Amino acid sequence: MARILLETKNLTVKFGGVTALNEVSLQVNEGEIAALIGPNGAGKTTVFNIVTGYYKPNSGEINLDGESIIGLRPSIIARSGLARTFQNIRLFGDMTTLENVTTAADGLNKSGLIGSLFGSPRSRRDEKQSADKASELLKFIGLSHCAHQVSKNLSYGDQRRLEIARALALDPKVLLLDEPAAGFNPREKVELGELIKKIRDSGKSVLLIEHDMSLVMKVSDRVTVLDFGKKIAEGKPSEIQSNQRVIDAYLGVDEDAS
Amino acid sequence: MDFSILFSEFADLTLNGVVVGAIYALVSLGYTLVYGVLRLINFAHSEIFMMGTMTCVFVTSILGFTGYEDPLPIWHFFLVFTLIVISAAIVSGGAAVILEIVAYRRLRVIGASRLSSLISAIGASFFLSEVFRLLTGNKNLDFPRMINKEPIFQFSSAYVTQDKILVLVGAVVIFFILNRVINHTKLGLGIRAVSQDERTSVLMGVNVNRVISYTFLIGGILAGSGSAFYMVFYETTRFNVGFLIGISAFTAAVLGGIGNVRGALLGSFVLGLFQQYTAAVLGYNWRDVITFAVLVLVLLIKPTGLLGEALQKARM
Amino acid sequence: MATKKRFNLRDAFGDKWEKSNRIQRVVFRVIVIALFYALPFLNNPIIDTPETSFRSILFYPLIMFSLMAVGLNVVVGKSGILDLGYVAFFAIGAYTQAMLGLKTSLTFWEILPLAMGFAMFAGLILGLPALRLRGDYLAIITLGFGEIVRIIAVNTSAIGGAGGLTGIPGPVLFGYEFTVVDIRPYYWLTLTILLLIIWGVLRLTHRKPGRAWEAIREDEDVAEFMGVSTLKYKLWAFIIGGAVGGAAGAVFASQIGSIQPDMFSLNLSIMILACVVFGGMGNIWGVIFGAVLLGYIPEKLRFLSDTRIIFFGLLMVVMMNIRPNGLVPRKKREKIGDKL
Repeated sequence: MARILLETKNLTVKFGGVTALNEVSLQVNEGEIAALIGPNGAGKTTVFNIVTGYYKPNSGEINLDGESIIGLRPSIIARSGLARTFQNIRLFGDMTTLENVTTAADGLNKSGLIGSLFGSPRSRRDEKQSADKASELLKFIGLSHCAHQVSKNLSYGDQRRLEIARALALDPKVLLLDEPAAGFNPREKVELGELIKKIRDSGKSVLLIEHDMSLVMKVSDRVTVLDFGKKIAEGKPSEIQSNQRVIDAYLGVDEDAS
Repeated sequence: MDFSILFSEFADLTLNGVVVGAIYALVSLGYTLVYGVLRLINFAHSEIFMMGTMTCVFVTSILGFTGYEDPLPIWHFFLVFTLIVISAAIVSGGAAVILEIVAYRRLRVIGASRLSSLISAIGASFFLSEVFRLLTGNKNLDFPRMINKEPIFQFSSAYVTQDKILVLVGAVVIFFILNRVINHTKLGLGIRAVSQDERTSVLMGVNVNRVISYTFLIGGILAGSGSAFYMVFYETTRFNVGFLIGISAFTAAVLGGIGNVRGALLGSFVLGLFQQYTAAVLGYNWRDVITFAVLVLVLLIKPTGLLGEALQKARM
Repeated sequence: MATKKRFNLRDAFGDKWEKSNRIQRVVFRVIVIALFYALPFLNNPIIDTPETSFRSILFYPLIMFSLMAVGLNVVVGKSGILDLGYVAFFAIGAYTQAMLGLKTSLTFWEILPLAMGFAMFAGLILGLPALRLRGDYLAIITLGFGEIVRIIAVNTSAIGGAGGLTGIPGPVLFGYEFTVVDIRPYYWLTLTILLLIIWGVLRLTHRKPGRAWEAIREDEDVAEFMGVSTLKYKLWAFIIGGAVGGAAGAVFASQIGSIQPDMFSLNLSIMILACVVFGGMGNIWGVIFGAVLLGYIPEKLRFLSDTRIIFFGLLMVVMMNIRPNGLVPRKKREKIGDKL
């Protein structure tokens, strides 16, 4: 029985008068690639925002590897194994590719400011560790060639991949990808799919928000569908594809699903 | 700490608090309206107010008042006062529009960081106040007394005088007009739309640049009007008058809920009263410290203010 | 165009720097530092300033502004936190030196760490609540803080009230007493402090704290998502800024001998901010350059002196619109790297 790494139970989130999420329960198991789909405005990114601690839910549970993470600050949640990318690319634009990843890698080091100032052995070790880990991640994802380029000057595809590399630097148990394929051409989408599988194979689970159905079908083990803040279906990709409720919710986005 | 004055003068303090609150309200509406459309604090708004006060002094000196005349007959006074209010409103309104174009527009259009806009705002604020420091030679400028300030009647400890009535009535009139503009005109609709959701407003055909210019204009007109009432009541100004009034007006806006028009009104009156009462107990020296303390406390405890919307977190 | 030329100079310098070896770099640094220590001996009519001696200018405003600009830079330039009340730390340092110097038998050297400590503590107290707020509100609160410190100083007779404090003693080093007459030891003292601070800040910048600050500056929310404890690092920035301001204040008070509250006004906060903005947000050399320029020019061109603030205000508006990163932008990493 696979371990549940991330789960929400009856998560309800209201913003003013709008109920963004209504009793949403979902889970991501160890070693799986899960997808979260639904029409625009269904609440998918809200799930990410809540689960990573940016907003507090009105009610419900959120557990990361069995422990509740409600009320924890986002940086603590990030360091506990939950990292994300963003729908609109949000890199540290004026920092280089390598620096972007190193900054995230720093998060797992415990050395503090005083240590850095006086060059304590631990801080020196941590610096090397962050640097090495960042280099390796760039190699893993194929960005070593532009390690010292200022990240805002990278190509769109490289920027998206950098965001992923940066999130990976936190050694997440679950990696949250928010529309990673947006703006990609078919070939890039195939490469992305391979990358996601490679990430899963390296021992991390992935929760993916995506609109591209072919990518979702090819890559995911399980799909959860949201509509108007409620979960309306859940299951294997093939099951979801033929689910009438899902088709109705999308009203014609169906053309992608071949 | 002496509470005796608070009790014995309660009615007078309350009346003064309401009058001062009305003046604050006219200034704080400028902060809150601009914040609503730009999500930015217009630091230089205090100097817009100051320029209004300077205009008042200028107009009275052109009209030949020396400050040694007898109070004018009522109808004469109204004529002169109306002229002063309109002049101050025009100058402040115009200055506000120019300010937006010079200090804020480019940064907004290129999507510069918040920090840049803030720094530009501060630079503008200091530039303006220093220009006027040089123009006025660092002196206090006095406003001639044109109205009879003898108490008309006394209510408990409160001395009801003509200038106080003028401020209150004038402020009410202006709020009424503002309400019509905000809620019953196309411009007001535009302002409300941009305040709620700028991107959608653009998609719905709202000319955001124009709306923002008009918002600054309205804020400036309000501040200018407020400056005229201020001058009648306090009868003096100097180059840095904007700073303290600005802090109070801004605190009032935050207290009521920044971005919320009714909040600005409520906050202004509450703050005006609060200042009077605490000054009675602690002395006027500490008034500004108290005002800052109120600001800090509101921001820490209830940042939404008494009536306000949440200080929006960025959309992720 | 002036800015393009400067850019090329820096690139040329950067290339040369990369080609040099370790010994060459050390020698270079030693020579430059020695030159700065030698500055008070410079006696050239071209650089002399009309009303006060060049030596006096060297101390205040040049090196004082430089020190404070470096401190404020950590807060505003590196971390993106707009602090409008920096003068408060300066004041706290100055008043600590004044009060402890006058009322106790502690020496300057004992008071200095205390002055820094109080300022750091003030930074912590202010920062803990304030740094949770968004930029605009934080700015206003820091502004308020600066003003409150001044108002308290004016209204508290125990620390001198509006009249201030006089007769503040100066440092004594190995039996040598710093006097009001000779400003050079104060200059050298401040220069030494500045060099130490620069060393510290550079070390932090090139390591984890520097990256954390920059991430916070770029996109605070995302930094938090990427595991950076934003509150902790913002607090540190504040505290460091406070320490530097406090040190500057202590030295200032001991040199000038008598202080009044109106020396610690909002104007000074704005001037230091202008140095940071003008010189190059986040770039330590840039802000020193900015401080020297903005300190020197109003002294050299006396007619500008009274209009100093107008100049600074206008400068801030213009800089933000034209060159928001300052004259000397944060280093282009491909060129110089972090080797200086």
